[in-house]
Amino acid sequence: MDALQAKNSYLSAFSDWEKSALTKDPFWLKETREAALAQFGETGFPTVKDEFWKYTDLDGLLNHSFALTGDRHTKAAVLSELKSLGFDPEKAHLMVFVNGYFSKDLSSVKNPPNGVKMQSLMESLANGPLKREFGHILPFERRPFAALNYAYFTDGVFLHVPKGQRLEKPLHAVYLSTNSGQPTQSHIRNLILMDEESQASMIEHYWGNNLNPYLTNVVTKVSLGSGSQFDHAKIQQESRLAFHIGALAVHQTERSRLSSRVFSFGGALGRSEVETALSEKKAECLLEGFYLAKGKQHLDTRTFIDHLAPSCKSEETFRGVLDDEAVGVFDGNILVRENAQKTDARQSNKNLQLSKESKVYSKPQLQIYADDVKCSHGSATGQLDEEALFYFQSRGIDREEATRTLVNAFAGEMVEKASDYLRAPLRQMVNDWMEGKS
Amino acid sequence: MEMLAIKNLQAKVEDKTILNGVDLTIRAGEVHAIMGPNGSGKSTLAHVLAGRDGYEITGGEVLFEGKDLLSMKPEDRARAGIFLAFQYPVEIPGVNNTYFLKAALNAIRKSRGEEELDAMDFLELVKAKLKPLRMDESMLQRAVNEGFSGGEKKKNEVLQMAVLEPKLAILDETDSGLDIDALKVVADGVNALRRKDRATLVVTHYQRLLDYIIPDQVHVLARGRIVKSGGKELAKELEQRGYGWIAGTEKKEVKV
Repeated sequence: MDALQAKNSYLSAFSDWEKSALTKDPFWLKETREAALAQFGETGFPTVKDEFWKYTDLDGLLNHSFALTGDRHTKAAVLSELKSLGFDPEKAHLMVFVNGYFSKDLSSVKNPPNGVKMQSLMESLANGPLKREFGHILPFERRPFAALNYAYFTDGVFLHVPKGQRLEKPLHAVYLSTNSGQPTQSHIRNLILMDEESQASMIEHYWGNNLNPYLTNVVTKVSLGSGSQFDHAKIQQESRLAFHIGALAVHQTERSRLSSRVFSFGGALGRSEVETALSEKKAECLLEGFYLAKGKQHLDTRTFIDHLAPSCKSEETFRGVLDDEAVGVFDGNILVRENAQKTDARQSNKNLQLSKESKVYSKPQLQIYADDVKCSHGSATGQLDEEALFYFQSRGIDREEATRTLVNAFAGEMVEKASDYLRAPLRQMVNDWMEGKS
Repeated sequence: MEMLAIKNLQAKVEDKTILNGVDLTIRAGEVHAIMGPNGSGKSTLAHVLAGRDGYEITGGEVLFEGKDLLSMKPEDRARAGIFLAFQYPVEIPGVNNTYFLKAALNAIRKSRGEEELDAMDFLELVKAKLKPLRMDESMLQRAVNEGFSGGEKKKNEVLQMAVLEPKLAILDETDSGLDIDALKVVADGVNALRRKDRATLVVTHYQRLLDYIIPDQVHVLARGRIVKSGGKELAKELEQRGYGWIAGTEKKEVKV
């Protein structure tokens, strides 16, 4: 399929799907979905001529025809699988989605504090007044995959933490893709509203045991009230035949604090976008993560930090490890606008190539239009340090174990600042990746 | 018993010959010192013995306890009992010292068919080794050599040596960058390991380390070969007269 045929198939599938799948949609949402689809019709799929997609070719994705309805049930023993990954799901609120649909049976939300809403987005849309959030399309939602997501999303997390409330346990949302007998797509939409001085943490965990190719297309929209704190982590463990496109879009107000961590392991093609707008003074964000790719995997990370207001702070560190013929892309953009005096912005991207055939495209960008700022950025790509390897060997440790230890250390630095809930499982995932188990 | 026998060892880096026929025999229980001017090939010799990449062996052989050392991988040499204390110990961010030391000790124990030590036993062992080196326990939790001062790095090498208990310790310019107090501590650490069944090869430019680690034999390396050997008094002589007079005798010795 070429890009035009692919576009048309996504456009023409909508009306039948809408009739069968969206019977509970409020009428105003239907209008927005149609507007989003029309928006997608105008742009179609991006190509490598698009600066946003310069290093990521979508031909592989467009060659597939993904059915819109996957199974809603699974035999996967989610709890024990999570435990085997090293999680202690008792210490989290668990929300499980199967092929894009919320599974009440597999989820367990444990007495959230008064007034905190933590539920399926579709449930909230049917019952609650979310029109303010869904009645219009934001600029970023005009981009092709976000627009497609708007038109086709089936469910996701809705989290609302009211003023001054604190969600003690993290919300662990598992998005499972399972075999439906054919290639399938799911469009997931998460909405997080943090009122002033509230606190919460959330994990988006994408996980596939699907033997067919599939597409996961996610948009997570986050709004942070003044003084609120939101810790977000995304673990991308899609199956190796999967296509994963995900965007986290955050709007930050005064003194709000965001931490966003992205840990990418899976997918034939994985693209993770993180954007935050520091729109009022003294807002802070921390963006961290890694991408570990092998085989013919292509993992793309794109970030945009928009400094719109004075005295905001951003700190960004991403690391990549590429083996075999894998490709890693890091495109990080920091924009410091005229008004954003006293900005403190730091960005770093480091990549480790374990093979000669792997590729890295690193594109750190810093655009500064204010004059009183503290900004730095850097990018480095290299191989394992031979000196260090020899040092290990000279102490009796063989090259394989030395390599494993060095990669663990390199990627592991991104894990150390993550929450207690995440640290042990992430360490194990990195180790498993090194040992070829994932 | 001969522990190490270097016979007519020749090596080059890229196209440059660095070792030009080195002969040296070290017996168990002995301490040998190799001295020589900069660029004489001292460090190359130490690296070749430890198995570092980047050197082409163009002739000769090295036997360690009768086995062909040059055909062994670096980790197998370490497991067989060779230890190189680096002139410039490598910083390894993100890997803590305890982890590194424990992995090394257990790799060596495993190769000898001994049981691996668990975390508790290991910690007990390593703490006992820290004391004589006047090292703080907190350095165990730091990343290997990262941000260590010159003295701390060298002490850390000696700590590794104390934990791994090699048969043959090769010290590559271990005295460089040490003040006199640190030098004494490091030398004490090395001396504490001296035993009838172990040997030490001290590679150094200056004599002062040899005031504290007393060698049985001193060899002068110049232009890639040993041009003079003698007792510990040779080191003193070199200190007073420099290396020039030996370079002058070099040609004579070649003819012999």
